[in-house]
Amino acid sequence: MADRLTDLLVAPVSPVDAASWHAALADATAMLARLAVRRAGAGPFRVTDHEVRAVLRVDGADRVAPSPFAWSARTARRALGLAAVRLLVAGGARSPVEAVRARLDESARWVREGNPCASRLDRWVTGLPPAGRAAVGAEAVTWATRLWCAVDWAALGPAPAVAIGRDRWWDSPHSALLALRGRAEVRTGRANLVVLSGPRRDSVRAELALVTLVESLRGRGGDAPGRVVGWWPDSGRLVRVEPEPAVLTLGAEAVALVLSDAGAALRPAA
Amino acid sequence: MVLVAPRPPLGPAPRGTAAPHRGSGRDVLALLRGDTVARPRFDPGLAGGLRAWLEDAAYGIVSARGDHAPAVFLGPRQVLGSDEGRPDGEGFSDALVLSRLVHALFRHLVGREDVGDPLADALHALRACGDDDVVQHVDALPASARQALSDTMALHARHLGDLVPRFAPGWMPRTDDRVAIPLAGGRVVLHGTFDLLVGLPQPGTASLCALGLTASGPWARERRSLHFLALLETLRSGAPPFRLALLESATGRYGVEDVREEHLRAIASHLSAWLSRGALDHG
Repeated sequence: MADRLTDLLVAPVSPVDAASWHAALADATAMLARLAVRRAGAGPFRVTDHEVRAVLRVDGADRVAPSPFAWSARTARRALGLAAVRLLVAGGARSPVEAVRARLDESARWVREGNPCASRLDRWVTGLPPAGRAAVGAEAVTWATRLWCAVDWAALGPAPAVAIGRDRWWDSPHSALLALRGRAEVRTGRANLVVLSGPRRDSVRAELALVTLVESLRGRGGDAPGRVVGWWPDSGRLVRVEPEPAVLTLGAEAVALVLSDAGAALRPAA
Repeated sequence: MVLVAPRPPLGPAPRGTAAPHRGSGRDVLALLRGDTVARPRFDPGLAGGLRAWLEDAAYGIVSARGDHAPAVFLGPRQVLGSDEGRPDGEGFSDALVLSRLVHALFRHLVGREDVGDPLADALHALRACGDDDVVQHVDALPASARQALSDTMALHARHLGDLVPRFAPGWMPRTDDRVAIPLAGGRVVLHGTFDLLVGLPQPGTASLCALGLTASGPWARERRSLHFLALLETLRSGAPPFRLALLESATGRYGVEDVREEHLRAIASHLSAWLSRGALDHG
């Protein structure tokens, strides 16, 4: 698995016809500019891979009203696991067990000292009884170990060239209420690795296209970004999305679909 | 070669009496480690052959059910007939509650954490995992039933304390590692969860050890569940775990064995037959 996944993360990206790419990016930008979000309540409407997956589900399984978010070992594992892998890549820990333990210790220290870095997650996990905290740690260790063992990190280049767990946002300059999130667990110059969960689904290309779209919209000069690699740790399956003009269109159309499904209004640009 | 280290079943320990230290955890660790230079290499074509076999059977059931039928998710409970983990008609069975509590305690011990009150620690762990339904079930028990459960947990905790090896972090121990293998374009999904995996995956070599935990058996079925998981790991990574261990917390028994191609072929054959029967039922 490490070989196959690493190869995809370091292989050169297929060349893209610059004229086609820039035309597709201009079309996607124009499409997004025509979208406006009208929602009850304050704050931007955040389009993430979750919304794309939900709107494209054919069986409606994700369309049931979501239960309110609550911290649990399951919802905390990615954040803690990513922090652990970041520490491992930087050489600050020798194993996922040590790295997760260090992250939990850091949480406790920040909360105890009233450090402004302390997040809600830090406060939640620190407030648990020791056995509860250990369960959260165990879940994060498993998550981190799977990612840590799946990639040949040395082959990706020096640690500063690898970004771990940095989600990227694009705020629409046309509507203060619209923001798109590109989620990737690992970013190199050439590729973005997205850890996937749940079953295989037809929507996965659109979910990954959102990452390409956000990278492209944020990029300066309009150059094509790296490829996006989706990886299911449960099955070892990989799916890759090369930066092609059609991917930008797919991503923009998915955003439009999410907004229309959410009850947001589509209106022509003023 | 099959390595088996059976332990005579132990009776329930009297309340308040510490069980003698038997050092089984070290024995289990030594058996898992084995001869590190003799790790088996499996035929690189094995995983592909097994997958092709199962794909054929899975397409049979898909064609019988129709293209638009929802995906079928098959775990050890369905294909091997395990009852553990299945709620009874009125909620949670005693076996399910005990299994969930013991598994929570097992994860606690693998993490090299100290156990205070086994039942309370397991409940804290389940609550942190969002498993509130089991916690509420236990909280609603009458005092006498809760005390009995607490005593039972203390017994399991003593056995687990002896059985669970103290893994160095470099062994990469990880608990509750889920495997899900889609067949027939995702319309049949074989899934299961390793209670514990240790070792670093190495291309072309079986390099992992898998440990299974059962609160009360039966032993033969739990062993087949481990073979089922070994098959799924083969399909996931191309090689099975090279060694399996099964721990039984009610008695303190344990067994360790090498994974052989015969195990994988036998469980694949069982699955293929099971899927074919399913196809006939829907035909």
